[in-house]
Amino acid sequence: MILPIEDCYSEPCEESLPSKRCGVAIGIPHFVRNDKGGCMRLTTWLNKMGLGVLLIASLAQAQEIASGPSVKLLSAPPLTVTRGKPASSTLRFRVAEGYHINSNKPKGEFLIPTALKLNAPTDLIVSRVTYPVGQEMAFEFSPAEPLSVYSGTFEVTVMVRPLVSVLPGKYTMRGNLRYQACDNRACYPPKNLPVEYSVKVEKAAVVKSHRRTAQSPHVHR
Amino acid sequence: MKKKEALLAGLVILVAVMIFAARFMVKHHPPPGDLRGKSAPEFTLKTLEGKTVKLADYRGQAVLVNFWATWCHPCKIEMPWFVELQKHYGPQGFQVLGIAMDDASPEDIGKFAKEMGVNYPVLLGTESVGNEYGGVQFLPTTYFVDREGKIVSRIYGLKSRSDIEDDVKTALGTQKAKN
Repeated sequence: MILPIEDCYSEPCEESLPSKRCGVAIGIPHFVRNDKGGCMRLTTWLNKMGLGVLLIASLAQAQEIASGPSVKLLSAPPLTVTRGKPASSTLRFRVAEGYHINSNKPKGEFLIPTALKLNAPTDLIVSRVTYPVGQEMAFEFSPAEPLSVYSGTFEVTVMVRPLVSVLPGKYTMRGNLRYQACDNRACYPPKNLPVEYSVKVEKAAVVKSHRRTAQSPHVHR
Repeated sequence: MKKKEALLAGLVILVAVMIFAARFMVKHHPPPGDLRGKSAPEFTLKTLEGKTVKLADYRGQAVLVNFWATWCHPCKIEMPWFVELQKHYGPQGFQVLGIAMDDASPEDIGKFAKEMGVNYPVLLGTESVGNEYGGVQFLPTTYFVDREGKIVSRIYGLKSRSDIEDDVKTALGTQKAKN
């Protein structure tokens, strides 16, 4: 028996309620159990669960898959540094689903390593770029020759050291992530992904020294 | 309200179809323009040694035209297969032509080919030749040309040695083309 929609609001949900007693529309139950043990319209529940976000994310995923092998910069948080002191920022990247790119240390002389090249403003020195260790992956037809690759998300850490002479203020780090992507059957030409993030340079905090009283240059013993 | 729910269901189905279609397209590498049954686009390219080679020079032979690059690992996997196929089917009138599609120097390409024991001409590819063959958006891409200069088969990406050998036989005319 299928209950009228309105009745479902007052009915407590049973295990079989969404499909057996509340009816279904194109295989989707109209109602689901809410957190108070009663029924809730499926649309309301989906709205609550962020249906819009879900749809947009799904569409974005479909577009990403169809757009081919790409790497995206997920996050590059602004960095605040003190003059003369090194600080590091972590850049997060994502490789499109179904693809991989070579790690920074690929297993092969001719393979193109993933590398971040940054053009730092004058007086900001990129002192170190740290890459993650690659995952081992083998092609179906060559299981004995594993590759070192990145897939999914990966992080690159950049250490920046501002010179003592640098003027405090906001600077922009610009550069490119060079990568070469493949899937499990084919490889795609190398690409460059523009990377940009801001670095705020601050003066070193002034350390208050104790006031010293005037002393005689002579040592009194 | 029913309209709203039907719309919702429709949206969910649409998204599912889009994701499925995108995955299918990626997995099966849709051809950039099927050249099968057509005359193989003519090209004139330089070998690593500076010699000029034309596809027309091989008229009367079955030709395997393989687009590859030094940075392409799947290409490296199939190169030893081409070496064997050249040895085995060469006397029957079969020729492999490797077209290098990367920015590496001719010296590096030559070094790579030597390491792989390549026994067939390696030609320095150009964008225009790639475009003639459908853009060559990924590597390896291989075309099989019969004795009359017609494309009888093509392989996008890496496939098994036996798949490649079947296409060689088709180009030689000793086996019917698979659909």
